[in-house]
Amino acid sequence: MSEGDGYPGLTDPATTVFSEAQLAEVRRLQSLYPDPRGALLPVLYMAQETFGWISLPLEEYVATLFGLSPAHVHEVVTFYTLYFREPPGRHVVSVCHNLSCHLAGAPGIIAHLRQRLGVDPGETSEDGRVTLLSVECLCACEAAPMMQVDDRYELNLTPTKVDRILEGLA
Amino acid sequence: MPRLTVNGKQIEVPAGTNLIEAARHAGVEVPHYCYHPSLSIAGQCRLCMVDIEKAPRPTIACNTVAADGMVVLTETDRVRETRKSIMEFHLINHPLDCPVCDQAGECWLQIYYMQHGLYDPRMTDEKVHKPKAVPLGPHVILDAERCILCSRCVRFCDEITGTGELGIFERGDHSEIGLFPGTELDNKYSGNVVDICPVGALTDRDFRFQVRVWYLETAKSVCAGCARGCNIEVHVNRRRPHHAEGRRVARLKPRVNADVNQWWICDAGRYGFGFVDDNDRLLAPTRREGGTSSDATWDEAIGAVAAALRRLSPDEVGVIASPRMANEDLFALRRLLDICAVRRVGAQVPPRVPGDEDHILIRADKNPNSLGAELMGLGGDARPVLDAARARQLKCLWIFGHDLMASRWPEAEVLEALRAVETIVFTGTNANRTSERAHWVLPAAAWVERDGTYTNFEGRVQRFRQAVEPLGQALAEWEMLDRVLAALGEAPSATRAEHWFRRLATVVPAFAGLSYQALGDTGRLVAGSVAARAPR
Ligand code: SF4
Ligand code: SF4
Ligand code: FES
Repeated sequence: MSEGDGYPGLTDPATTVFSEAQLAEVRRLQSLYPDPRGALLPVLYMAQETFGWISLPLEEYVATLFGLSPAHVHEVVTFYTLYFREPPGRHVVSVCHNLSCHLAGAPGIIAHLRQRLGVDPGETSEDGRVTLLSVECLCACEAAPMMQVDDRYELNLTPTKVDRILEGLA
Repeated sequence: MPRLTVNGKQIEVPAGTNLIEAARHAGVEVPHYCYHPSLSIAGQCRLCMVDIEKAPRPTIACNTVAADGMVVLTETDRVRETRKSIMEFHLINHPLDCPVCDQAGECWLQIYYMQHGLYDPRMTDEKVHKPKAVPLGPHVILDAERCILCSRCVRFCDEITGTGELGIFERGDHSEIGLFPGTELDNKYSGNVVDICPVGALTDRDFRFQVRVWYLETAKSVCAGCARGCNIEVHVNRRRPHHAEGRRVARLKPRVNADVNQWWICDAGRYGFGFVDDNDRLLAPTRREGGTSSDATWDEAIGAVAAALRRLSPDEVGVIASPRMANEDLFALRRLLDICAVRRVGAQVPPRVPGDEDHILIRADKNPNSLGAELMGLGGDARPVLDAARARQLKCLWIFGHDLMASRWPEAEVLEALRAVETIVFTGTNANRTSERAHWVLPAAAWVERDGTYTNFEGRVQRFRQAVEPLGQALAEWEMLDRVLAALGEAPSATRAEHWFRRLATVVPAFAGLSYQALGDTGRLVAGSVAARAPR
């Protein structure tokens, strides 16, 4: 790359930037890998935790921390499903639709959630409260059907239990 | 140097050679998509599978380094079966729209499918659909459905230009090539991704749908866009002229020359041929008297120039030669000037906008033959010639190619010079504001319409060959100079550019020992050039 002119990116510079402490953490993470690029995933998670989702300007900002072209950060963000490319709701509900849960009634659970929230999987309820996702195996087949609500597992689901859980979400 | 056998043939290759290149040494082509000799190994397409004796299963050749004693087999039943399956995978979601695809006829999916394909598709599911006909930038257009995700284009932008515009986004069968949203593929070498894309995913916006590739004829040539002298092929459309509204030059493609341009050319060079078939081409000799122009015959034009040269004293004649002229032209001019003892000559006219330059190929000097002009003693600054004209010392000024009105010289001074000279002769391919003011206009053939050689900035003399006939009555400069020489009583010496090159090689020391044959397809360095002395 010729010095001076950066990689092609958006014209608006990123307004979202890390604090000094976070930048130190970025450097620490980068030093853990033979190729600092290895730290891209954890740094993207940091970004997501800080700003809620990964916007294009944020991808571009992260790219500058690694000397990468924004296109290559975009590759990573679009490859993985756990980065939000749009602002999610205040809570994220991920229902497992894989084999065990499917056999144990996941389709009914998903249908119930769709009806209660008025959204399809992949969408966020109008009030911005819940993003509904249907996902692959979350490794809790013994308690199927199950879903993940933010960072906790909810097991052995029934429609009644789902209603109770939803009521608890502000 | 490992010694190995490929399909029974013993070969020895440099250490570190991969099996695709090693097989080439044995005259064996291993089918492949993602491997490109100048890019990093991606191992992405899996088509280059070969059998290696004692290995349990076929291995990709691109990422396997030749080792001593290796026994490589590229055509076992198992390898052929593997290739067939891989082709089937590549085509699962391919739209098979060859009839409307510009790549058809030079597509590596078509070629390998004919050789290794499985002819009964087994897919019954709906194919995954992706964006089609997406302009990526000024020159390149993407059809994501046809992409086989070999990543050559991505690696080109990462490793050759370092601009990193392209990426592979999403995952699995939804993966697709694209740009970071909001950006363009507009680096100075973007056209090369079209060349290296093995399929019809990336095609050329300029060439697209002009003419089917099987109607094209090609000539080996050299780019005239700057002092690098990248090796190119000129692709011309003679057989279907109605397909492109009379545009004869269909496209320029890079031609590999390890010492000059490797596999690449810049976009300015690639798309810089528009003038050849432009409406402002000069088609016949013309004479301008009292503000009106009229066509003349070559005999009249040559006669007038010869008469002026005979009549005037050498000091009353000035010549602004051009570093865009071929060596042959410049030498013929040198000969003419020597005979007439004309010494007021220069070739360098400063461009209005200084040329851009980079560390890849592009040179600031946008002339293909500045060094050639210099070696012929014609490469000097043309400013003294202009000043002589302004000082009313010249009666005849012969300008080759330059549009002085578009140079960095102040327009008023150029006008003053042009008004002060009795007879202005202009030789060039296209009309411009200088030719408009000439009393005699002698139409020149464009570089793709004739043979010749240029000497690049490193001193490499390279041939360019005729690809199309000159438009109208245009002649190569050496031809018109030959006629002027004949009119002045010189015995005619040349019927081909090569004849002038032979004379040049016997007279100009730097060219000693060179001939068209010796130059071959990739050129030779002049004696004493910097590049010839530098260790390689
Ligand atoms: S667009 Fe062409 S070069 Fe790029 S990955 Fe696809 S097939 Fe390969
Ligand atoms: S670098 Fe110069 S010679 Fe090469 S393609 Fe570009 S203009 Fe032509
Ligand atoms: S050429 Fe070897 S995997 Fe593509």
